[in-house]
Amino acid sequence: MRALVIYCHPNPKSFTAAVRDTVVAGLERGGAEVRLVDLYGERFEASLSATELTDYEDEAVNCAPVQAHVDALRWCDTLVFVYPTWWYGLPARLKGWLDRVLVPGVAFRMPDVDHADIRPGLTNVTTIAAYTTCGASRWLTALVGAPGRRTLLRGVRAICARRCRTSFAAHYLMDSSTPESRAAHLRTVAARVDRLVGRPARRQAAAA
Amino acid sequence: MRGARAMTRALVLFAHPCAESFSAALHGRVVETLTARGWEVDDCDLNAEGFQPVLTEAERRGYHDAGNITLVQGYVDRLRAAQALVMVFPVWNFGYPAILKGFLDRVFLPGVSFRLEDGKVKPNLTHIRKLAAVTTYGGTRLRALLVGDPPRRCVTRAVWHVCRPDRMRYLALYDMNRASDAVRAGFLDRVSREMKVL
Repeated sequence: MRALVIYCHPNPKSFTAAVRDTVVAGLERGGAEVRLVDLYGERFEASLSATELTDYEDEAVNCAPVQAHVDALRWCDTLVFVYPTWWYGLPARLKGWLDRVLVPGVAFRMPDVDHADIRPGLTNVTTIAAYTTCGASRWLTALVGAPGRRTLLRGVRAICARRCRTSFAAHYLMDSSTPESRAAHLRTVAARVDRLVGRPARRQAAAA
Repeated sequence: MRGARAMTRALVLFAHPCAESFSAALHGRVVETLTARGWEVDDCDLNAEGFQPVLTEAERRGYHDAGNITLVQGYVDRLRAAQALVMVFPVWNFGYPAILKGFLDRVFLPGVSFRLEDGKVKPNLTHIRKLAAVTTYGGTRLRALLVGDPPRRCVTRAVWHVCRPDRMRYLALYDMNRASDAVRAGFLDRVSREMKVL
């Protein structure tokens, strides 16, 4: 397994950092190769610029501003997002990673004369996971429709390999969390990661 | 209607970096139509204003403190002065562009957009009586539905929840990449009609 972990939290001492450590340790324990991207650590630029958008569909140049990220994305078979849920969605910096790195030719192929709709480009990704924290309750998050979770586990999954596996865990009501609830959540995350590394993902060939 | 208030003030949040884009045309149409009906329009082009969308470590640490507004005071004032909020943006990867998501992260703060009472979120933007989104999707409506249409939910549920407006419109053009000139012109006209009666 080659796992790319996209981590996004401004505070290095946050609970989300502890989730990241649990995820990385679990992946490594299971024998996975791990690459970690720390979006705040590298001050990743969130806004897709006018220049990038002008070049968006030009596959000869559209990767250049984010080449290292594109290379990591093409290298991995497992994509793991570790982030806090803000406003029911992804932090702007993580949303910006999707906006800037998931360009045509990498993440998807644009419609052309032979194909009426957008086609997936991340067919190397057979597993996608999201581990997050939510200030809101599980109930309120469900009522709003969990847009952050859907953006990743349905939206991004749709451009991954067919029958791509998913894994998800959230600590709800984060503002009233206790040391016990946080420890329990880390155990949940560790168990989900064990399951990821323990059971091989169904390959695309088998699925097709 | 609120007779005491002479003029409705609208905050228009625009989130596309290119002036020649269809989003920019929609933005122009929104501002023009609202101005023509006598509204006072505060036109906030996030890219042109160089809005910084990333919530910093210091901001995260001070998120729940009384001083949390300081760094974005100007934007908070503009939000508080509005009786209508219109968001004009393209959908990218089933979400807001990062620059608009960052506006929620950094400006929709506790004490601004919501109050926490007994751990529950209470709406605090109830002066916003009209809420609208004008947006475009690369994918088809079916594709958006299969994913659960996250941006529609963000506007019609999450933002709605803190405003509780009398009127809300979510105007979306799907399948942008294959939309003909006629379809785009039709959508521009629809936006004009809806903005006249928002």
